[in-house]
Amino acid sequence: MTAVDVREAARVTSGSGPAPAARAVGLRKVYGRTVAVDGIDLEVPTGAVLGMLGPNGSGKTTLIRMLLGLTRPTAGSAELLGETEQTRALPHVGALVEGPGFHPFLSGRENLRRAAAAEPLLTSGAIPGAVDTALERVGLGHAADRRFRGYSLGMKQRLGLAGALLVPRRLVVLDEPTNGLDPAGTRDVRTIIGELHESGSTVIVSSHLLAEVEATCTHVAVLRSGSLLAAGALSGLLDSGIGGLEVTTPDVGLALSTLDGVGAVAAPGGPGIVVTDGPEAPEIVALLVRAGVAVHEVHRRRPRLEELFAQLTEGDGGVPSIGTEGDSGVPSIGTEGDGETIGSATIGSEKGVRR
Amino acid sequence: MRTKLWARIGSGVAVAGVVGLGLVAIPAGAGAQPELPPVSAEELVASVGQTSPGPFGGTVEVDNALGLPAIPGAPAQLANGTSDVRIWSDGTGRGRVSLPSAQGERTLVSDGTTAWAYDSEDRTAVRKPVTAHEVQPADPTRSATDAIAQLRQTSTVSVDGTAEVAGRPAYELVLTPNPTERTLLREVRIAVDAEKRVPLRLTVLANGSPDPAFEVGFTDLTFGPQDPALFTFTPPPGTTVTDAPEGTGEKPQRPEGVQPTVVGDGWDTVVVARAPQGDRSQQRPEGAPDLSQLGTPVSGPWGSGRLISTAVASAIVTDDGRIAAGAVPEQVLTEALAR
Amino acid sequence: MTAVAETAVGPERTAAPLGRLLAAEVRWVFRRPRTLITLGLFALIPVLVAVGVVVADRNGPGLIGAVAGNGLVLPIAALTLALALLLPLATAMAAADALAGEAAHGTLRGLLLAPVSRVRLVGVKAFGVLVVAAAAVLVIAVVGVLAGMVVVGSADGQMVTLSGTTLGFGEGVARVGLVAVWVLGQLAAVGAVALAVSSLTEHPLVVLASVLGGLIAFGVLSAIPALDWLQPWLLTSGWTAATDALRDPVALDAMGSSTVRALCYAAIGLGITVWRMQRRDA
Repeated sequence: MTAVDVREAARVTSGSGPAPAARAVGLRKVYGRTVAVDGIDLEVPTGAVLGMLGPNGSGKTTLIRMLLGLTRPTAGSAELLGETEQTRALPHVGALVEGPGFHPFLSGRENLRRAAAAEPLLTSGAIPGAVDTALERVGLGHAADRRFRGYSLGMKQRLGLAGALLVPRRLVVLDEPTNGLDPAGTRDVRTIIGELHESGSTVIVSSHLLAEVEATCTHVAVLRSGSLLAAGALSGLLDSGIGGLEVTTPDVGLALSTLDGVGAVAAPGGPGIVVTDGPEAPEIVALLVRAGVAVHEVHRRRPRLEELFAQLTEGDGGVPSIGTEGDSGVPSIGTEGDGETIGSATIGSEKGVRR
Repeated sequence: MRTKLWARIGSGVAVAGVVGLGLVAIPAGAGAQPELPPVSAEELVASVGQTSPGPFGGTVEVDNALGLPAIPGAPAQLANGTSDVRIWSDGTGRGRVSLPSAQGERTLVSDGTTAWAYDSEDRTAVRKPVTAHEVQPADPTRSATDAIAQLRQTSTVSVDGTAEVAGRPAYELVLTPNPTERTLLREVRIAVDAEKRVPLRLTVLANGSPDPAFEVGFTDLTFGPQDPALFTFTPPPGTTVTDAPEGTGEKPQRPEGVQPTVVGDGWDTVVVARAPQGDRSQQRPEGAPDLSQLGTPVSGPWGSGRLISTAVASAIVTDDGRIAAGAVPEQVLTEALAR
Repeated sequence: MTAVAETAVGPERTAAPLGRLLAAEVRWVFRRPRTLITLGLFALIPVLVAVGVVVADRNGPGLIGAVAGNGLVLPIAALTLALALLLPLATAMAAADALAGEAAHGTLRGLLLAPVSRVRLVGVKAFGVLVVAAAAVLVIAVVGVLAGMVVVGSADGQMVTLSGTTLGFGEGVARVGLVAVWVLGQLAAVGAVALAVSSLTEHPLVVLASVLGGLIAFGVLSAIPALDWLQPWLLTSGWTAATDALRDPVALDAMGSSTVRALCYAAIGLGITVWRMQRRDA
């Protein structure tokens, strides 16, 4: 399976309905001789949480900056919330790009007030309240009146997050939001992303921490060297990666013959059999149970995102190791996303990985 | 797209700024020559002699390219460059002249009975009674009239087209030395106001240069009644007021024995005078220019001395204390000295 | 989330009110420590000149010399003195912080994402720079008048002009105001050009160095006699015109022409800034 195949299979198709929250059409950015982003087509469906993955220098930030209109693309066009002129959509967009930008001599609250003064959707009277709410939401209420100069890296990052959340947003773009955050901060960010998703906002979050993306995202886009290697719903991507059902059973022979009878492709594997093709999961489980096979457990066989990523990028060779670098303050998150346990007979075919 | 539009507007504004700067910086060339009824030189000179301009106020620009060496203690207006003189006159002998400099101003006021000279640099005012023959300094009306009268015998006088000076149409009166005159000067042009028949501009052109060696003319001129307060002077607080010595005004009395002799006439007139004798460095009156170190050494049958030459005039200061000067080449000076 | 949603219901607009942006900019400018320090130092200039004149106690040449016993000349002399270097540098500093400094802090990005349109951003920033320049000029003028009256003193609060006439206090202050407005016009030109440099770089010091270098270059160029023809192009060549406010009647020619020149420089600077900001990455 080549990377191209995956990309074709996984291309996000928003289909009909509302305009995508963000769309890139042939986006390309060249700095001098360096191609930072090389012709990327991407659609982010409304309501999705898109994780943008890629090693440092893979073009994540440049792509985000072009989507937001901060950088002029060399070629191609970007669209935000259905607007080709991004500034018309930006009032509804909150963003934390390339680290938090604030003035060192102002307090956190004053910094946010200055930012809020420029927010079109805030009435002047609503500014103090919105600032206080945003500060509380990121857990900075206690340090609001200290100068930004004295903030720790994590506090700066939280303030930046607060700036993105001053107004209820239809789209929130977070570029490496957990940079410099301690485990508690990382958890807070994940909670906030979850809340945004629940309230219907679209979230684009870039990261080089695979586990973090796997834990919070419904969709992923994988970039390398300015190109999009894969993009799509996270669950779909993981399924298409290897796929199949893993049935834990002591009755291997009976199970194989039963499945052979309905034309399913199965083979012994693991603590039982692995079904790689055939009817849908509920049907298979029903068949096996009816045939008297003792089914202890049924797994949808899926790789971890890290495996998928390695698989995607190994095809071209020489991929920098991803997920191991950066801060390691994401304890035991990756293991949670280790495939979905399907309870006895009731199998949700496509639930995604969002918790 | 709006971005492109604004980028275009931005560059347009920047270009407009450059063009505007150019318009300010590059002086407007000779404007269209105004159409005026023809007039003969004699008529023009005669009308200038008879005219009385009435009250006026304006600014005169002196453009000096004489190439005078820098003389310590001399007014800034003598050095090369342009300087402004502001003039107000009520037309009946009362007037005010301001000589602004970068740091201060000299002001001359005549209220009809008393003339004041105020210097802002040292805050002194010199007062003296006005006598009937007092000439207003640097008044182009008077200086041009005098020049015409003096030069008519040895010059060709003609009217050469028209010009616009200080926004007013004017005839260009041209005085050209006769070919027999041995002078450094090529021609003298005087722009005469077509209506008021007042000289508005005096231009002196020397041989060998297309640009004027000296030009004095109005850049701004309005005829009409002037604020009477301009023609009075009350010494401001903190001013030292002195009375000028009788006779030569504020300048120190000229020492005895320096009555000048005039050699030749017309354009090649040379004035020979005797400089004050004695130790010059000590006797030199305060404020007077020190000429002893200027120029280049020259010598001849007449003796030896130092030659000071400018675009329109030359002077020789001999070691035995004589001074010869005129709008002539060096040779004419030495001939005059050899007499 | 819901709490925010309730308090933040604003009208559907795509730009914050201009007045609010300008007010936020002014508040930001005056919260900046270096702005306040600069203004404090500017307040010292007329005081130092006043003390110097009183201690020296004699009429010297030039504008400073004209201050002695003539207190209302002090603000004009101090403004002329400061215009030579300090006021342009303070203006350049404000312009440096306005775009290059904001870019360096990453706050320019925030403003553009709010969004503040790029043209509007240039307008807001130019306004901020002008406010700093005006504050600096005002400080020198007001402290100058006070120090002039208190430290130097003058006869009956009058102003003695260079032409030897005497003006009443009101007219004297009006002359100071005239010079202040004229100086502000010159600083607007400096600020606009500095803003253009600021839009081209992310390093505030580059802006300061450019303006300082420009002032020095203009000074050198105007000192070379062979380059006389260049004079009318140089912004600095009219910077002694404040002396004309001390003449009677007041001579407006030099101040007028230098103001026109300053406006041309301001147009060039602002034009470049607008053009550059349209394509600048933030």
